[in-house]
Amino acid sequence: MAQIQPRQNYLGAGGWVWAGKYKLERYLYALHRITGLGILLYLILHLLMTTAFRIQGQEVWEATMAFLHGPWFKLGEYLVVVAFAYHMVNGFRLILQELGFVMGRPIPPVYPYSDALRRKRPWAIAVVVVAVILSLVFLYDFVIGGW
Amino acid sequence: MRKTHLWFLQLISGALIAVLLGIHMGLMHLDDILIILGIDAVEPTSWDSMISRAMQVTWVALYIALLIVALYHALYGLRGVIIELTSSAAAKRAVTWIIIAFGLTAFIAGTYVPIALLSS
Repeated sequence: MAQIQPRQNYLGAGGWVWAGKYKLERYLYALHRITGLGILLYLILHLLMTTAFRIQGQEVWEATMAFLHGPWFKLGEYLVVVAFAYHMVNGFRLILQELGFVMGRPIPPVYPYSDALRRKRPWAIAVVVVAVILSLVFLYDFVIGGW
Repeated sequence: MRKTHLWFLQLISGALIAVLLGIHMGLMHLDDILIILGIDAVEPTSWDSMISRAMQVTWVALYIALLIVALYHALYGLRGVIIELTSSAAAKRAVTWIIIAFGLTAFIAGTYVPIALLSS
């Protein structure tokens, strides 16, 4: 008789990208991780610049700034700002959810059922809208500042 | 219980970062909009502007507070992501200690320079 193997549900890093039929919240989760890791990478570079380079005085600081004011670095900087805006807004949603503020009142299980995910969907949509608005405000500043 | 406390600190540090980094981001990346609103941030990345902030205790305290909460939030988050990829308890412990060592090094480097500039 053939042994029934338990279903392999450990997907590792691949599970971030695909773990079945995804809903919006699952993409927000993946994006939260990606933006978090991106911001951490920037934090390390930023710390290096504000410590090792800054302590060397005005000349080194100004040379570093001139180098970092190129259009590609500006684009990278803008992406960091967008990542921050998204990570912050989605983080607030997660904090509210974690502390039970957006769970809604308990309701009787009457068909068609309204699951917790669907009831919290407006918050997920609000996150996307607010993050886009903040990104556009920052984009406006980047553009009028001469990029 | 310890894990619950560490996770709660992750939530608190996230909220604090939103405020402190929000101030930093607003100053650095909304300077042209702030001018329209009548607040002149005077090219925040110039040496004069940077050094004038570096000489004020309030700004130095704000940046050191930001460094502490940002390092905690980022590295606790990174640890969570990495230890999800392994089921070995020894590997998880090693990851935790490497991250703690990295965090302490970054904290010492990140606080030494602002304090040295403030007291120069």
